[in-house]
This record gives sequence, C-alpha cells and structure tokens, in this order.
Amino acid sequence: MKAMLGWFAGLVLIASLAVAAPRGTVPRSSADKYALHAVRNRFSIGVVAVSPEQVRKQFVSDVNRCCVVVEVALYPGKDGKLDVSLNDLILHQNNSEVGEKPASAKVVATKLQKKAQATRDISVYPSVGVGYGSGGYDPATGTREPGGTYKQVGVGVGIGGSGSQPGSSDKDRSAMETELSEKGLPEGSVLAPVSGYVYFPVERKKNQTLTLEYTVNGEKVELRLPQ
Amino acid sequence: MRERVLGLAALLLVFAPVSLPAQSNEQPAPASATTSAPEAASSDAAQSSKEDSNDKDTPAEKRKFRLRLGAVSLSAGFSHFSGPYYYPYAYPFGYAPFGFYPGDFVTASFWYPISSPLPFYGPEAFRYGDGRGEIRLSAEPKEAKVYINGAYAGTVDKLKTLWLDPGAYDLTVSAAGREDFHQRLYVLSGKSLKISAKLDPEQTKENP
Repeated sequence: MKAMLGWFAGLVLIASLAVAAPRGTVPRSSADKYALHAVRNRFSIGVVAVSPEQVRKQFVSDVNRCCVVVEVALYPGKDGKLDVSLNDLILHQNNSEVGEKPASAKVVATKLQKKAQATRDISVYPSVGVGYGSGGYDPATGTREPGGTYKQVGVGVGIGGSGSQPGSSDKDRSAMETELSEKGLPEGSVLAPVSGYVYFPVERKKNQTLTLEYTVNGEKVELRLPQ
Repeated sequence: MRERVLGLAALLLVFAPVSLPAQSNEQPAPASATTSAPEAASSDAAQSSKEDSNDKDTPAEKRKFRLRLGAVSLSAGFSHFSGPYYYPYAYPFGYAPFGFYPGDFVTASFWYPISSPLPFYGPEAFRYGDGRGEIRLSAEPKEAKVYINGAYAGTVDKLKTLWLDPGAYDLTVSAAGREDFHQRLYVLSGKSLKISAKLDPEQTKENP
C-alpha cells in the first residue's frame, strides 16, 4: 500500500513539474533555418535577436524595460542528447571579455515590477468655472457691494502613489513570471530540438555590439547579433 | 496690502498640491517591493541584490514620472456674502472682503480639496477596471462561444470587453462547424489586449 502511495506521489510530482516547466517556442526544422546559426559535433544552435518592436508584440510584459531578448534554438547532435542550461549562455557587449548571464523569469519579473512601481503619474486637472455672487455688506468701506459674476481658471496637479502603474502589483509579477517562464528556453536534458526566449539583463544602447557565446562540453560557439 | 495678501494666497494655492506629494515620495518602498526579493532562489537572489545596488547607483532611472491629463473641469457656481467674513489668518483686519477671499474663486471647482463640496478626485479616480486587465475580443461568427480556462464565459457578441485579474488564462473560442481557436493569455492590470479570433471552417474528412 505504501509503495503504491509512493508511486502515486511520484507521478503527481512529475506531472506538476511537467505542467510548470517552460514550454518555450516552436523550433524550426533545423538550425540553418535561422539567420544566425552554428553546427558542432554535439549540437547545433540557431539564434534570433528579437528587436524591441517584436518584443512588444510577443510579450504582454514590458521586457524591453530591463532586458535584451534573444530567441535560442538548440538541436542535439549525433549522440542524441543535450543538456540545456541557461548558465551555458553568455552575452558580451562591445567585445568585452566579461559578459552577462541570462536572468531567470523570476528575476526579470521582479525587476519589471520594481520598475513599474517606480513610475508615477503626474496628473494635471485643468478647471474652468463661472459663477454669480450676490454681493453683501463690506465692513471695510461700510457700503453694500453689488453682486456680479466671477470667472475662475485653475489647474490642479496630482502625483500618483507607487503601485498604481500597470505591472506593479504582486499578481502582475506572478503573471509576468508565468509568461516569461512559459516562453523561455526549456532547461534540462533534451533528446529533441528545443527553443525559447532568453532574457539578458542588459540595457540596449545605440551602436552596441552584442555577441552571444554558448559553451557546452568544451565546445564553444560565438554568434554576433545584428544591431 | 491687498496685493501682497493675494499674492501670498496664490503662492500657497500653487505650491500646496506640489509640496505634499513631494514629501510622500521620500517614504520607503511598499512592502510588496521588499518582500518580493527574498522569494527568489539563491542564485536569483544574488542577481536581485546586484540589480538593487545598480538601481541605487542610478536614481534617475528609478524615479520616472509620466505626465497625463487627469480630468477637465467645467463648473458653475453661486456664492452669497451676507456680512463680515471672519478670516483671521491672512488679513490683518480680521475679515476678508467679498471677492478677495480665495475660497470665492475656487469653491465652484471640484478639484479644490478643502472647500469644495465635491470630493477631491485623485490621479487614480478615473481609472477604469481598477487592478484588472482588459481583453477586447472580436470573432467571427459573433455567436461563437467563449471559454476561459475551460469554463463557459458567454458568447462573443456579449463579451466584447472582458476584465480579468492579472494572471495566465487559456482562451478558447468555438462555434458549430468551425475549428476551435485557442490562445494563451497573459493579463496584467491596466493593460489592454486585443484578440481577433478567426475561426476557420472545419475541414470535412473525405472518404478515399
């Protein structure tokens, strides 16, 4: 009985992991279908540098605020097995030797939430009014002031509090994490091609050269991304 | 003298709404921002702390303001002055003659937070669907059925606009004789998502 319960618990755990695991994107039929690609003995890689406009269309989360997004497709080699890990990817800026590793969906979502919380609205409230005053006794002069109309023009300024922006709540962070995770590159041992987005916490700049490095089992690939 | 008092009143009116929120900006970050970082895994936490230090180094990036038009107010009012108006704070004679009391000019305005009979409308007062995200759905045919996470939500013609809590949803639109439309939705508060579901005619299997 205990053994059966153990098997059942194991199955539930595996099923929940399978549901929670990133799904990624659909890989193309082969690595050479990507504009940037490389073929090695143990793997092939295809890469697409996703432009900010494409990111805006592909993601509900405002990933452009923190990251450079790269779509990576990995194809196992002849031995048929490949260990995919985000730690094997590095993005170098301007040919620098020091590079940035990808950020996890959780880190990116937290960063985006913080950025959203830091943004505040300054609201302007213009106001125009017209009215009538009936007049009254003015003790300064001892006379009765006549009635008349008055007009007023005004403007009010209000600064919104933190947490009022889209993407700033904890529920938003959870939703962003789900989206980024589900569209992210799946990790783990794979027998079939996988692809997905990878998020590098790098700010986009003009005239910036980005080079993606992928190293696995001693084999290294460097692909220079188009600007 | 009148000009000086009027000038002082005008200055107070202009700077009061600006100075109050400026003080609130200096308050510490909300609990949600501080509690989110410890939830990350160990490697993630290291990256988060690195990002925090970067943010401190670049305060200009952290504080971003966006200018927007709140609401335009058009109003009409009536005021009546029936006798000496006691106003000891600004006028040396202990009264404010009609027409010079600042409230006369602003009572009719609904945005004035002190003397207006109407409530003060803050920057969020006119936000629609507070805390939710908008899904604008269109599909052909209009009588197609909409399912969210497998649960029936209504027909397309009745559900042109959906407001959902932030999260991920599975949207299915189906109609008789048409292929189902499936899409994974990610909803964020205050964001609007436009979905155009095109249901292709179902392909009939022909006998060989």
